[in-house]
Amino acid sequence: MIDIEPLRYAWTPDSKDTLALGHLHVDAGQTVFLHGPSGCGKSTLLGLLAGVLTPQQGRVSLLGQDWAALRPGQRDALRANHVGVVFQQFNLLPYLSVLDNVTLPCRFSALRRERCMISGGPEISAQRWLQRMALPAELWTRRADALSVGQQQRVAAARALMGQPELILADEPTSALDAALRQDFMQLLLQAARDARSTLVCVSHDEQQAARFDLQWSLPELLKAGGKP
Amino acid sequence: MNSLWGIARQSAWNRRSTLVWVVVSLALATALLWTLERLRHDIRSSFAQSVSGVDLIVGARNSPVQLMLFSVFHIGSNAQSLSMDSVRAVAQHRSVSWVVPLSLGDSHRGYPVLGTTPEYFKHFAYGDKQPLVLAQGAVFAGTLDGLYEAVIGAEVARNMGYGLGQGITLGHGLHEHDHESKEPDEHADKPFKVVGILAPTGTPVDRTVHVSLQALQAVHLGWVAGAPMPVGQIPADQARKFDLEPQQVTAALVGLKTRAAVFNVQRYVNQYEGEALMGVMPGVALGELWTVLGLGENALLAVSALVALVSVLSLMAVVLAGLNERRRELAVLRAVGAGPRHVLGLLAWEGLWVTGVGVLLGGLLAQVGMALLAPWVQNVLGIRLQMAAPLLTQWALAAAVLLAGLLASLGPAWRAYRMSLADGLSPRV
Repeated sequence: MIDIEPLRYAWTPDSKDTLALGHLHVDAGQTVFLHGPSGCGKSTLLGLLAGVLTPQQGRVSLLGQDWAALRPGQRDALRANHVGVVFQQFNLLPYLSVLDNVTLPCRFSALRRERCMISGGPEISAQRWLQRMALPAELWTRRADALSVGQQQRVAAARALMGQPELILADEPTSALDAALRQDFMQLLLQAARDARSTLVCVSHDEQQAARFDLQWSLPELLKAGGKP
Repeated sequence: MNSLWGIARQSAWNRRSTLVWVVVSLALATALLWTLERLRHDIRSSFAQSVSGVDLIVGARNSPVQLMLFSVFHIGSNAQSLSMDSVRAVAQHRSVSWVVPLSLGDSHRGYPVLGTTPEYFKHFAYGDKQPLVLAQGAVFAGTLDGLYEAVIGAEVARNMGYGLGQGITLGHGLHEHDHESKEPDEHADKPFKVVGILAPTGTPVDRTVHVSLQALQAVHLGWVAGAPMPVGQIPADQARKFDLEPQQVTAALVGLKTRAAVFNVQRYVNQYEGEALMGVMPGVALGELWTVLGLGENALLAVSALVALVSVLSLMAVVLAGLNERRRELAVLRAVGAGPRHVLGLLAWEGLWVTGVGVLLGGLLAQVGMALLAPWVQNVLGIRLQMAAPLLTQWALAAAVLLAGLLASLGPAWRAYRMSLADGLSPRV
């Protein structure tokens, strides 16, 4: 599902500050808890996994496809078809309704739209995922910016699940939430990802949640291992 | 791409409070350009259409443009006049077919009064050699019995509500634009009767009151140097007993037997020994007028082009300023699968629409504005604004603004494209 061959990534071409990783592998449907201190490169690793960044050395593959071997347009298409993303916050287009936000991926990916057809089309599918994320139905037609941050994160998760993409990347999805909401959210997200049979890579500081995941990656340890030749 | 437009529309609508000012400034700039172009065109055609079939205008030696403006368009003033002896001398040239003397200086309720002979209506033409046609009544007789008779232009009749038999009085001098004035006219002691109303021509003729040269002499009996003599005025009936043949006129229109002789006759006029005269070919004088007008026109056009440029730049500034605000929005779109080309398309689409709406509103504003102001422009400037389909050049200007707007939005769009590439999945906000 995800394959990383020993890679080196520098933020700028002449930078000595590099991200170096060894072999890594994630099976389809596995959930990964990625943690580490701020600034150690967690978001960069997500960028590499999503194919928006390409390493100077080594390779990152999704579904057996090397990101670096694709032209930019093909990368966009692969990402649109197979990757769902949840940010820390500001995930939604404020001027669209909740439902329109959730169906956004279907506007850019024919594949995900087709997959939604099986369950009755993007609209029905969106309602299903919003239900899975326990967002009250009366909020679905509201403008996205009328929702609380916690509600918005659930909408973002529902959107990432649309069309059951093979990979879901979540970049500290609970860090803007109250402690009480974090556990609920993480539980819902994990369960929904398993239902969708999607691989989930979740960056988080909240180590209490780590045990729920199949794999726990500590980025500093991965870097230590990768740094050795 | 269809779905992207929906997003673009809703995104733009969400920022409508900023975008509306860009639209307004673009609309005003377009309206300005659009109106100026129309005005430019109509001024030219208005002048070019106003005189036809006249080979030479003869007057005292002065500026040719000034002579033509005053004698044909009744604009400005002409201090000098020429003697009737000179007019008669020109009429006797073997190549000259007809001569019509003109005398200007008085007005009726703001409309210029033209003293002339009945031949004026036979020879004067406008547009493409179209003769003057009477809609009602007849030309003044030019006899002593019909001394106080007037023929009015179509606009005078329409605006003042005059019909045949209407009594009118003349004011001394060219009063400016006071059609509604209630002040008693200086020549009220010698009332005229409307005997003819001309069909509309779209030229200054429509705004003119025509009387005989003798009638103008009559109303000025007892006047010296532009003021009535204090000893008392001569009653209207008594005036007929005086010699009413004018000694001086403002200008004379000359028609030739063959156009080929025009330079001969012009030379004859210019070298006439009795008086300093000049003969002006209307076409040549118009050409000179264009040169003079051209300077002003170009300045106006340059200023309005600058206004358009500023509006386009303001569009660019607004879009650029909005980019940081929209960085998050663009990152979200990237995260749900939009490629950089979608981002580029989104911004270009918005720029095109904002400019398009601005240009459209500007065009409408200009058309409505001109329709509303046309009567005023006609009265004050004597220019008939044509309520015709937009000119090719007007379309071209609108297209230029549209293109400039599109180009101006492509700049920020390109920046957004680079930004969305550099930001990857997580925008730096």
